[in-house]
Amino acid sequence: MEPVTRRSFLIKGSAGAAGVAGAFGTGLVLSNKSGDGTALSAAELDEVGDQPVVLNVRDAATGEVEVYVGEREVVFTDKSLVAKVLRATH
Amino acid sequence: MSSHREAPSISKDPVADNTDTYAFVTPNNTVAIITSYLPSQAPAGGPNFYEFGDDVTYQVNIDNNGDGRADVIYQFKFTTVNTNPNTFLYNTGPIDSLTSANWNRRQTYTVTKITRQGDVRLARNLACPPCNIGPRSTPNYSDLADAATYSLDSGEKVFAGQRADSFFVDLGSVFDLGTLRPFQNLHLIPTAAADGRDSLAQANVHSIVLEVPIEQLVRGRGAPTDPMAANATIGVWGSAYRQKANVRGASRRTVGPWMQVSRLGNPLFNEVIVPLAQKDQWNADSPNRDSRYAQFVAQPELARLLPVLYPGVFPNLAGLTADRADLLAILLTGIPSGIIPGFQNFTGTTQADMLRLNVAIPPSSSPSRLGLIGGDLAGFPNGRRLTDDAVTIELRAVAGATYPLVAPTYTPDDAVSVIEDGTFNNPGRNLLNRFPYIGLPYAGYDVP
Repeated sequence: MEPVTRRSFLIKGSAGAAGVAGAFGTGLVLSNKSGDGTALSAAELDEVGDQPVVLNVRDAATGEVEVYVGEREVVFTDKSLVAKVLRATH
Repeated sequence: MSSHREAPSISKDPVADNTDTYAFVTPNNTVAIITSYLPSQAPAGGPNFYEFGDDVTYQVNIDNNGDGRADVIYQFKFTTVNTNPNTFLYNTGPIDSLTSANWNRRQTYTVTKITRQGDVRLARNLACPPCNIGPRSTPNYSDLADAATYSLDSGEKVFAGQRADSFFVDLGSVFDLGTLRPFQNLHLIPTAAADGRDSLAQANVHSIVLEVPIEQLVRGRGAPTDPMAANATIGVWGSAYRQKANVRGASRRTVGPWMQVSRLGNPLFNEVIVPLAQKDQWNADSPNRDSRYAQFVAQPELARLLPVLYPGVFPNLAGLTADRADLLAILLTGIPSGIIPGFQNFTGTTQADMLRLNVAIPPSSSPSRLGLIGGDLAGFPNGRRLTDDAVTIELRAVAGATYPLVAPTYTPDDAVSVIEDGTFNNPGRNLLNRFPYIGLPYAGYDVP
């Protein structure tokens, strides 16, 4: 799914998810990408910069994860990542 | 209060708490819109004086096609800077201008207009005035505030900063089991009669004031002149947003999509109509989803309480069990034509809590504080002026004053015409008859 822009949100008039700001779009991106376990390249590190990236495990059983970055929310499923994250907290 | 701390979550987040929204036609063929935040400010706010949130996005929303969604949005974002790293003080001498070197902590803001055509940055680095501290720190405060009013090349005027709260309400009485000062002796738990007491008499707020040529807000070309025209009514509401996550640390950062945390169209809607358990959700919802709250308008809890709290005073209201089509129209769709001669502010069948303003109705030469129920078509609930007595108007409407609009055989109880909040006559608010209209803030030195 393409990111929802402010303009497209206004034009489509989508109600979006409850509680989402009308002018901002949902800011929600569904992704089927997942990491392959290799380290980030220098270019990818530059892209991330020093902005905070917050990961929220929405459902540990299904491996559904929300990632907040900038003004966006990316949702994807990765059971192995969730397992790694949760085991690291023990 | 109108929407001061009206829901559990937002009561803990005053910087994003939208307290009131006003919208009225001016003699300049413009619409003035005022949205206020940061409720119940004690003017003596030092050492950390009040300010807008850098991590909050504030919006003024206008719906001009009746679907409960914004067609024109004005978005305000603020930036705060400290100019002197070596002092604990807000100011190190008199602030005699917006560029004063004595002023240590100051805010600027950007204004962006969002329409179907896209986003346009109308202005950046506009200065807020300082808070009104006192005669030594902020002498000639009126000049400082005037210097912070801006006329934009695009036709709008804007102001953002501290002002005197223009809302008035006897909060201590209303929320003491629905006490109405004129009838204290008739209450189920009677007390001696006493005058109304304005809980906000010397409180400040932070206001965003916007004045826009009418033709920029309505659909179609030009400003409508016929009050019965389909495009003559706009819906207005304010809203505030925070990002989904907050990372606290050495430098606090917010991240993620923006989430609506506060909104306000009609005064007192969330405060008095929506059940406590649903108030937070209401603040997060868009107006176009308000049909889910229509049941609370159709059968308002307050209308059931009044006959119980005042035995024998509201017999006709006690017998009124039908859905309140009058309130559903006033608050959720607007009043259609054919109800009040020469008037309508109907926006369609979509139920949405918006402040509806028929922009083809000119300002009144002799305004009534009771607005529409006082025979003044230019007052609330046709928009809302700073002088409109929203509490009394809504109390009377809920008590049955407006039900004859839809049921001509219904007779309101005698008590309805004398319900008063009793707090309207406060000369200290110093309203202006020019932009930005809402009065200068109280100074901390004068109101400790």
